[in-house]
Amino acid sequence: MSKIISIHSFRGGTGKSNTTANLAVSLAQMGLRVCVVDTDIQSPGIHVMFQLNPKDIKFSLNDFLWGKCEIEQTAHEMSTEDSKGRVFLIPSSMRTGDIARVLKFGYDIQLLREGFMNIISKLTIDVLLIDTHPGLNEETLMSIALSDVLLIILRPDAQDYQGTAITVEVARQIEVPQMYLLMNKVPDLFDKTETIEKAQEAFTCPVIAILPHSDEMMMLASNGIFVRQYPDHPITREIGMVAQKILG
Amino acid sequence: MSLSKIRLPKGMRALVLIISAALVYGFLNAYSNRLLLPSAPFIALRPQVVLPFFLGFVFGPWVGFLTGFLGNMIGDALCGYGCWTFWNWHIANGIYGLLPGFACYFGLKEIRTLRRFVIMETIVVATNLVAIGVVVLADLFWLKTMQFPESLNSWILPALITNIVLSFVLVPLLLVFVKFIVITVETRITLVLSWLIVSIVVISATAVTWTVWNDLTSQAASVQAFYSAGIVTVLVVIIGFLISVFLAHRITDPLANLGQAARQIEQGEYQLPVLDTLDKRSDEFGQLATVMRSMASQIEARETRLKNQVAELKIEIDRTKQDEDVREIVESDYFKALRQKARGFRTTSRIDKEEEIKDATPKDDESSSI
Repeated sequence: MSKIISIHSFRGGTGKSNTTANLAVSLAQMGLRVCVVDTDIQSPGIHVMFQLNPKDIKFSLNDFLWGKCEIEQTAHEMSTEDSKGRVFLIPSSMRTGDIARVLKFGYDIQLLREGFMNIISKLTIDVLLIDTHPGLNEETLMSIALSDVLLIILRPDAQDYQGTAITVEVARQIEVPQMYLLMNKVPDLFDKTETIEKAQEAFTCPVIAILPHSDEMMMLASNGIFVRQYPDHPITREIGMVAQKILG
Repeated sequence: MSLSKIRLPKGMRALVLIISAALVYGFLNAYSNRLLLPSAPFIALRPQVVLPFFLGFVFGPWVGFLTGFLGNMIGDALCGYGCWTFWNWHIANGIYGLLPGFACYFGLKEIRTLRRFVIMETIVVATNLVAIGVVVLADLFWLKTMQFPESLNSWILPALITNIVLSFVLVPLLLVFVKFIVITVETRITLVLSWLIVSIVVISATAVTWTVWNDLTSQAASVQAFYSAGIVTVLVVIIGFLISVFLAHRITDPLANLGQAARQIEQGEYQLPVLDTLDKRSDEFGQLATVMRSMASQIEARETRLKNQVAELKIEIDRTKQDEDVREIVESDYFKALRQKARGFRTTSRIDKEEEIKDATPKDDESSSI
């Protein structure tokens, strides 16, 4: 039974794309077939994580939404030999004209859903990861509405707290079956258990993980997949646990 | 240094102090003359010599000088030598009190460190040398009662040696008694070690002198024996003192460093470069320094953690604003329509999935039975 998981953060800079890419690879290493969809059409970025050259993108999500191609033509295989499973990436268009067009006309939820369903069945995808645009615009709400699981990423800072509280409530209203918080870039000296307790109490939502502020991760930034380069790192193990928990 | 600064106990008290101290000194000088040294018939073993030193250190140069000067005069008079016969010795005894009395003008008011202890003992030895120097010079130029160089061996050196050893050992003792020397780890170690060394040397030197005494035939030989023993005594006392100072430093330096480290921790500095060499020592100080360093880093970690916890403890959410923002989104027509569609999708996908499961069930059974 396949799962659609949206990964969202209220503000930019939380490490959302980074987490999405690492989670995808982690799931593939567990032997699953994973597809990452970059629905952040306004500011696409996850292709950088997979080191996919924009020139090599023949069809993007934009092309599918405008009926130029079938959804499976937009999927780019990103697997490496180390993983038992597969990783596909459906990128958004990097062309400014394409971006402007989506912003102007938007797209239909019915079409997006069809695309998701088709890619799941054609490539026999186990987990569909949706990298969303920060904030709560209509396209993002759409992705959340189509998801089985919503993973909200936040940093320990006041603005993220406020935005996350709003997101949690909106997602609850849209009746997402499952929702988790992931606190990212948390300084080492925070007490983990207490942070989890406080966050769960404040947001009335389970915290799936607390990821530390890691220099190695910052160094790699959005230039390569951390869990591939540091297979034995504590953060890698933590992401592996997130992958397992999120599958339920 | 101006003379006006020289301290003198006020009025009658000072006078009473000087007169009574001089009387005590004089009587002791007159009636302790029985303790004659075997080799030097004119020089008595005079422990009271420490009195002017002591009063000089504690009450300043005038009290010290007058006590020594008048005391010696009284002693001579009581012995029948006459008041002015050996006036050079009056001056010498005055100097015993005068020079230590000036010590306070060099910052020596209270002795609690090794440095000051060493300064004090240096003043004691130097004062002895100056005083004897004055005696000898005065005799050479005016009195002419001595024969040189015979008297050098017969009593000048013996007098010098016995006075140095006595004052070196007894002055600190008196100063401890009136708390002029404050007992700290530094002074205690130095005192104990120097006392130990001095007493061993003095006892053995005396024993040697007395043992060979009966075998000595000529007076020259007996003088020679005392002379050697005395020189050895002074040398060993001084070397022993320096060794004890060195040993005390080995203990007190780390203590000072540890104290400084503790003060730095108190002020919230946790790097402690002051312990850099200390924590490499393998002894108890090294262990303490290591523990102190790890304690400091633990405190620092805990402090940072506490600071962060204070920040972390307040996940503050403006609930009114949250409600407003949420309402704005969920009450829009778009959102209502989206929710409706999403509900529809979920029901149909549930049905789809149920159908999938039904379809897949026979296959699953087959595969699992293999």
